[in-house]
Amino acid sequence: MSAVLDLIARCGAERPALLWLLPLALLPLVAAPRRRTPLPSLSAVPADPLSRALDGALRAAACLALAGLVVGLAGPYRNGAEVTRTGIGAEISMLIDRSGSMNETFAGRQPSGAEESKAAASRRILGDFVGSRAHDLFAVTGFSTAPMLVLPMTDRHEAVRAAIRAIDRPGLDYTNVGRGLALALAQFGSGPGTASRVLLLVSDGAAVIDPRVQDALRAAFAKVRPNLYWLFLRTKGSPGIADRPAGEDTPQAAPERHLDLFFKSLGAPYRAFEAEGPEAVAAAIRQIEGLERDPIPYIERRPRRDLTGAAYAAALLGLVLLILGKLAEADLGRAPAPAATRAPERRIAA
Amino acid sequence: MRLGLPWRRNLGGWRFRALAAAGLLVLATFLVPPLRLSRDGVRLLAVVDITGSMNVRDYAAERRPQSRLEAAKAALRRLVAGLPCGSQVALGLFTERRPFLLFEPVEVCAEFAPLDGAIAALDWRMAWEADSRVSAGLYRAVAMAAELDADLVFVTDGQEAPPLPATGTPPFDGRVGAVRGLIVGAGGYALSPIPKFNDRGREVGFYAETDVQQENRFGPAPADAESREGYNPRNAPFGSSAARGTEHLSALREAHLKDLAARTGLAYAHLDGPDSLAAPLSAAATPRPVPGRLDLRPVLGAAALLLVLAAHAAGPLRARGGRLTLRKA
Repeated sequence: MSAVLDLIARCGAERPALLWLLPLALLPLVAAPRRRTPLPSLSAVPADPLSRALDGALRAAACLALAGLVVGLAGPYRNGAEVTRTGIGAEISMLIDRSGSMNETFAGRQPSGAEESKAAASRRILGDFVGSRAHDLFAVTGFSTAPMLVLPMTDRHEAVRAAIRAIDRPGLDYTNVGRGLALALAQFGSGPGTASRVLLLVSDGAAVIDPRVQDALRAAFAKVRPNLYWLFLRTKGSPGIADRPAGEDTPQAAPERHLDLFFKSLGAPYRAFEAEGPEAVAAAIRQIEGLERDPIPYIERRPRRDLTGAAYAAALLGLVLLILGKLAEADLGRAPAPAATRAPERRIAA
Repeated sequence: MRLGLPWRRNLGGWRFRALAAAGLLVLATFLVPPLRLSRDGVRLLAVVDITGSMNVRDYAAERRPQSRLEAAKAALRRLVAGLPCGSQVALGLFTERRPFLLFEPVEVCAEFAPLDGAIAALDWRMAWEADSRVSAGLYRAVAMAAELDADLVFVTDGQEAPPLPATGTPPFDGRVGAVRGLIVGAGGYALSPIPKFNDRGREVGFYAETDVQQENRFGPAPADAESREGYNPRNAPFGSSAARGTEHLSALREAHLKDLAARTGLAYAHLDGPDSLAAPLSAAATPRPVPGRLDLRPVLGAAALLLVLAAHAAGPLRARGGRLTLRKA
């Protein structure tokens, strides 16, 4: 019983209002499309179970035809189902620096001629990365002074590529990485993940993270437990991740080094890639792709099934029976004796 | 064996013919392919103002006050859900003096979930600066739409912060009407207080008169400055007293937006509930043919249904009519 209810619950109609016409299917119980033959009294005829049965069958066929047509008109369908399967991939939350300096080249100049800006290089390489594996889930977050949720976690790779295509447009002000990290972590949702989680930070600089935000980030990292990758697009001549400043070693003097130290102190699996050109960026992405080869449950959507054909098939069955019935009509009294044994019975019953 | 049936009479009866025709029509539903045709889709760039004045709660939803931003998001989500498949939508933010593109146009059916999620996630906290130079932002959004080969839907309340200088709205130097689309005015017509948030994003009251710039004192002074108290051409060209005004309150600046619409060749529509965008958009946007298909089966099925009903109902109706005439006679 519950299986039947379940089946009905999974069905729908495109024009459900038309289903109000279904009572029309009861019309054959009071009217029949058969010829009427005047007869003084039915009591004159002996009771005939075969005639009654034929009458019932023809009325049922008419009900079926009408019900099938009404249901067919309403456009019935069975809802698509979602099946969870397991593939290879990861939940990847991309946090992309949209500050103004991303539009400069790796040499720190405005791009000219064939030169590629850092944003354009990451656009090209990340665009290839998205969709290279069918079952990865992606979320995109941008940040400059404020974090911006660009796309929530999704398996629709075309939308993710559209978001990646937008990242080499002119950037905004400054690099405020702390709040961006908080939003990128929030993209994983609050539940305990079922897949490997990757936070990919693409930036060309770092900034001091407010101590209050640092505490919140530590808590969030401990809860989400992502693998953290920092793709640092280093401009030539600027300090790298490992460089100690000449003077005092404070976060203000060497933000990159201290962001790296902060990431190391989180206890989450962490790797930094320092890229000084497009080839290095591509190599780093390939490496990340190779590292993240864990099973991921993904959802396969079965499209909804159109049941209109089935409804019309039922209607056609009923109609064919009705038409045969019409063809087999006989007239009382006029029919010749040998064949008259069956046909008059039907007329009487009708 | 010969069946003694009145074939001629059976085949000639109109009810038989009606049923047979219905049968053929139903049979045809299995054979007739859907009609291929093109429908009018759109390619849109939706840019949403996320500046402070969009937090004013002068809309209502489910009997609760709703901010302009929330109302705009609800309307955009409804709009996107109603677009024919094959239409494309890109999303951008506006604050400071320029639009920021979140993603390039994506198809509205296959990519619906992330598109809808991204619109739902729009938040004033994404703003990278507090200025709201609406006319500058609009002009750049028009250029961005042209670059994306899309029509523009620009949702804003039209409140410029800082206020426009005495010289008025800056000129539009693009080609008027090159980009089609819609400026959507969000907000009520009465002044309402603007919520104020602290640096951690918590609401801490409303803006007061002295919190915001009431007059733009860059550039040349207005013509009436000479009559102001304490006017001095060199030391106090705008007068000596602090400017007073209602810039800390916000109402929809419809006149300003209509003026901007006229300057850029866009249409103007007021955001009035979640369903208010579809009609003005279809009037303003460039129709782009997207492949569609028309299912002919409902037409065939409806004709068959009418025939079967007629075949059933005719007998009793005629019988009743017959009796009535008898009584009259």
